[in-house]
Amino acid sequence: MKKYKWFADLPKEEKWLNDRLAEGFACRRIGSFGGYDFEPSGRRMVIRLDYQDHMSAEKYGEYKAIYADFGWTHLKGNRWGSVQYWQKPADGRDDIFSDAGSKLAFYKRLTKYSLTTACLFFVYTFAVFNGNIFSALFDIKASYFTSGLWEKDGAAFWRAFLFETPFAMLRFLPAWLFAICCVMSLYSYFRYEKMRKRYM
Amino acid sequence: MYSSTVYNRIKFNYIVQLYIEKRGHCMKHPLLPLSETMHYILLSLKEPLHGYAIMQTVEQMSAGTVILAAGTLYGAVENLSKHGWIEPVPGETGRRKVYRITEDGERILAIERRRIEHLLSLYEARDYGEKI
Repeated sequence: MKKYKWFADLPKEEKWLNDRLAEGFACRRIGSFGGYDFEPSGRRMVIRLDYQDHMSAEKYGEYKAIYADFGWTHLKGNRWGSVQYWQKPADGRDDIFSDAGSKLAFYKRLTKYSLTTACLFFVYTFAVFNGNIFSALFDIKASYFTSGLWEKDGAAFWRAFLFETPFAMLRFLPAWLFAICCVMSLYSYFRYEKMRKRYM
Repeated sequence: MYSSTVYNRIKFNYIVQLYIEKRGHCMKHPLLPLSETMHYILLSLKEPLHGYAIMQTVEQMSAGTVILAAGTLYGAVENLSKHGWIEPVPGETGRRKVYRITEDGERILAIERRRIEHLLSLYEARDYGEKI
């Protein structure tokens, strides 16, 4: 069973995944662009999501070895600063964080990461569009530079349009990634704040 | 220029000094006062252990009340070794790193012990209210 879905909120993604697993599935693979591959499973499984900053190969090996010792299988993630997906058969010890401090530190890492990424895309978009973020986001024509493109019609228009689309995407996609990262950092920041108020 | 060990030594002394003298100024130190998790891990590492064995030892030491999860354990070990309170045992090769407490770690435990013993003495003294 393959499903496609996008999430800007990690805990929501984790919950959605675990709801699927509760229906009697196990996750086989997680693709790079929101594709989740499930298979029927006789055992009840759980998935937990972690975020880790860039680590050396040695550190990453150690990180994965500790999780593996606790029975977790690595589904997806790399050592260049990414979300780590872990799955294991449910046995009552199904969390990856056992105290408030480490859970809080997780939300802090996540907020910092999405904020940094948002900043990078912001700087890029700002430079490409001379500071006009709104036209980058909502005015698709601003991303196309071919002169007289919108006056052409028929096959000539489509040929020119499709030819320039990959280049235009380089201009408007980062703007959208910036917006997505902003939403992500807001989500993780509010989760962090909520948690901090409850425990600290 | 200081070598990194000398630098760490100075930084450590400074932190500990602050912690002993002016507790309030040390509120910013991320690991002090030690959390329950950190306490148990430091105490368990008086003998060299690898990750999973730390969890098992802590479970025994706490009579089953503290069960460390993978992410918490990894983060704690990272943090403690970053501050130089535990270190990997040299010569141990293989997939799992084995850790043990350092001298600095022992000193932190000694300081925490004094703090907790003082608290305990307050619990035990029946008339502490009158002395103040």
